[in-house]
Amino acid sequence: MSEQVEELIKKEYAAGFHTDIESETLPPGLNEDVIRFISAKKNEPEWMLEWRLKAYKVWQSMEEPSWAHVHYPEIDFQAVSYFSAPKSLEDRPKSLDEVDPDLIETYNKLGIPLHEQEMLAGVAVDAVFDSVSVVTTFREKLEEAGVIFCPISEAVHRFPELVKKYLGTVVPQRDNYYAALNSAVFSDGSFVYIPKGVRCPMELSTYFRINQMNTGQFERTLIIADEGSHVSYLEGCTAPQRDENQLHAAVVELIALDNAEIKYSTVQNWYPGDENGKGGIYNFVTKRGICHQRAKISWTQVETGSAVTWKYPSCILKGDHSIGEFYSVALTNNYQQADTGTKMIHLGKNTKSTIISKGISAGRSQNAYRGLVRMGSSASGARNFTQCDSLLIGDRCGAHTFPYIESAHPSAIVEHEATTSKVSDDQMFLCQQRGLDPEKAVSMIVNGFCREVFKQLPMEFAVEAGKLLEVSLEGSVG
Amino acid sequence: MSAVFQQYASDLAQQQFGISWLADARDGGLSAWKEHAWPTRKTEAWRYTSLLPVENEQWQLSESSAETLSQEALSELIDMDAYRLVFINGQLCEPLSSELPAEVVTFADANSEQQAVIKAHLSKVANQQKHLFAALNSGLLHQGVLLHVGKNQRLDKPVYLVYVNDKADAQLANTRVLITLETGAEAQVIEHYFTSTDQDRGWVNALTECSIAENASLHHYRVNLESEQSLHTGGIHATLAANARLNGFTLANGSRLKRIDYHIEHLGSGSDLQLNGIYLPRHQQKVDYHTCVEHAVPHCTTSEVFRGVIADSARAVFNGRIHIHQDAQKTLAEMSNRNLLTSDQAQINTKPELEIYADDVRCAHGATVSQLNDEALFYMTSRGISEAEARVMLSFGFVIELVEGVAIEALQHWLRPRIAHMFGQSDQLTRHIIHE
Repeated sequence: MSEQVEELIKKEYAAGFHTDIESETLPPGLNEDVIRFISAKKNEPEWMLEWRLKAYKVWQSMEEPSWAHVHYPEIDFQAVSYFSAPKSLEDRPKSLDEVDPDLIETYNKLGIPLHEQEMLAGVAVDAVFDSVSVVTTFREKLEEAGVIFCPISEAVHRFPELVKKYLGTVVPQRDNYYAALNSAVFSDGSFVYIPKGVRCPMELSTYFRINQMNTGQFERTLIIADEGSHVSYLEGCTAPQRDENQLHAAVVELIALDNAEIKYSTVQNWYPGDENGKGGIYNFVTKRGICHQRAKISWTQVETGSAVTWKYPSCILKGDHSIGEFYSVALTNNYQQADTGTKMIHLGKNTKSTIISKGISAGRSQNAYRGLVRMGSSASGARNFTQCDSLLIGDRCGAHTFPYIESAHPSAIVEHEATTSKVSDDQMFLCQQRGLDPEKAVSMIVNGFCREVFKQLPMEFAVEAGKLLEVSLEGSVG
Repeated sequence: MSAVFQQYASDLAQQQFGISWLADARDGGLSAWKEHAWPTRKTEAWRYTSLLPVENEQWQLSESSAETLSQEALSELIDMDAYRLVFINGQLCEPLSSELPAEVVTFADANSEQQAVIKAHLSKVANQQKHLFAALNSGLLHQGVLLHVGKNQRLDKPVYLVYVNDKADAQLANTRVLITLETGAEAQVIEHYFTSTDQDRGWVNALTECSIAENASLHHYRVNLESEQSLHTGGIHATLAANARLNGFTLANGSRLKRIDYHIEHLGSGSDLQLNGIYLPRHQQKVDYHTCVEHAVPHCTTSEVFRGVIADSARAVFNGRIHIHQDAQKTLAEMSNRNLLTSDQAQINTKPELEIYADDVRCAHGATVSQLNDEALFYMTSRGISEAEARVMLSFGFVIELVEGVAIEALQHWLRPRIAHMFGQSDQLTRHIIHE
């Protein structure tokens, strides 16, 4: 057992939250009883418990993967607590004055409105009630369109048929070590169902943003877009998120039926650890979508947080003429490590995929792109274009590229290109000569470098993402 | 199964009574071999290539054989003015070899000075802990060739090493080349592997080590055109000192198992590597190229281009890795891998990797997989060229650029028709590209 992990798990909220052990928090450790407890807490039907137990058995037989280009002390899975009840209102800070001023300053830099700041910092004031009413309006609007959007724990009760039919079909329980763990102990997450031919009337981002508190460390998301429907979903937010749980293992499954389109955007800014590499979240995520005929799945991610990121949003292009997209910005600073990329599995005819990955490493961080493009033997006329560029800031960081290209069809065309360079002196000179200080100049150049990805984000997040990079890069120049 | 083979190979090595002063090198190789875990499909470096053809047979070390080659086999030799050494089934064939200059010697004939050079460099370039078959090569070491060029010397003719196999049973030929160039030395080396019969089922395990000192320059060519049933595991390992240059070229068809590893380390500032490769597997053949370039110091350059045309049910693997260490600032490294698939069953797995720990570098890699361009085909057929012929011409054009970079003219002339005939077997199809 690594002492560091233990220490971090026990560590108090740096942001000033209390971590009083509440009666409903399970002691560390994982066994069948823990899974039964979680299931019972959520009042789950028998089949859900069976499903979890099956995953647990699979997990026990698996080994932790070690192939990623990341290093961290060994995790003791028996030292993690797998269930903690949400905080009660009394434990929360009463107003923003009680919140760590550094955090407030960051919020201000990101331009987050005041009432949202309160939400994000977990302040238990009227703002919460305000947003509840907002939530209700949204919910009515969604219901009118027939869209189902609720916590997955609720969906298990209300729509068992849908959950049973699709859960684990894209990411099976035995898919990988962390997916198996998630399947066994998942805390909560979102469930989305868009009925046939419906275009979701709003970006689910807005709703989510004020409703995403306390999903826990083992998040499970399931999005089903029925034939001809369309949905845009945003996960996470630009504000720094602190969490006492060091280990996060989420699973996201997307199902795009014929002619459907899902756009999934992520902004991830979990606590990355301090400038000496101490602390920080381990983020091991499995995200995958399946596209049926003429369907489209588009992943956009901006990754700036977490001490260790292990994440490969993927598309299985099963249906003919389906489309997969992956746009990513991954920024690492200080001692952060990221091993991220995508998999595009082309099975159907005339399937298309685009991968644009921008990696920025600064400080002593390590940033790796790992991608797979597989053209199956039935993927005639399939097309892929991959571009992964890396930018290095400082001479103690690393940028790596591991693209796997497997093609078994002659009419499939795969193009891959990758470049690595530093912020050019010419660009810096030009900016500084125009009166920008070096830090501002770097942030401007980095923003330009990421532009292709940012323009895929919903507008307000694109603006925030730009600012987020600026904040994350602070102190990396000079 | 695998462990059985590993033990079996160790036993083979113990039977080997080669040159006594190489005993240490053999022991070193053998102990490294024993420590290796046998690769499985989960071993990253062997992910796409199965070693079953090696495991499934009872290999014997090949013994000396024919004093000469058939007329047909002789006609396969590259016609050029060179210092030639011919090995048949791993054994030196003196009648076919030419007079050697002082710089070239077989391990058996090495004088004490040359023995000292061999001992100083052998197994120092290739990392036996990392490379399984390099370890086996040392373990089975009994014969080899040393090319040692002294300070500021230039070898007047290329060294032409020919390795011919003609065994229809499971025989293993273990071959070794050691090239040491002292400061400012220059040399050209051609390694040519072929089989004189289509029935050959032998296995060649070849290892070349090149130690290139400051300002020295080596041109290294490696041609692997063996029968479809043969096995080949080969490694070319080189270290480059300051301002040293290595110009490498490799051509291979495929076979039951063909794995060629290039491992090049830039150890001195200002060194330069140019590495070009062509692989042309067809039928059921398999070919696997792994290249690794280590930039340990600043101001070095690498340019690597590999192209492949994969036909019929063949499978090709390319894994190109460039590793830039923390202090290797001002590195320029480029790698390109382009592939053409010309049949529905053909497969390619390519992985161009970059691992970079320095910021002031310019690195790029690119990889493409596609089939022949429809527009180009249409253009040619609209000019009255038959489609079959147009296909041959375009495939040939796809790879021939790399042959044009070959500095030895005789080798270029030898390569052109052979590459052309791999795309189109009849003269009718190749008339425009061979007889210009």
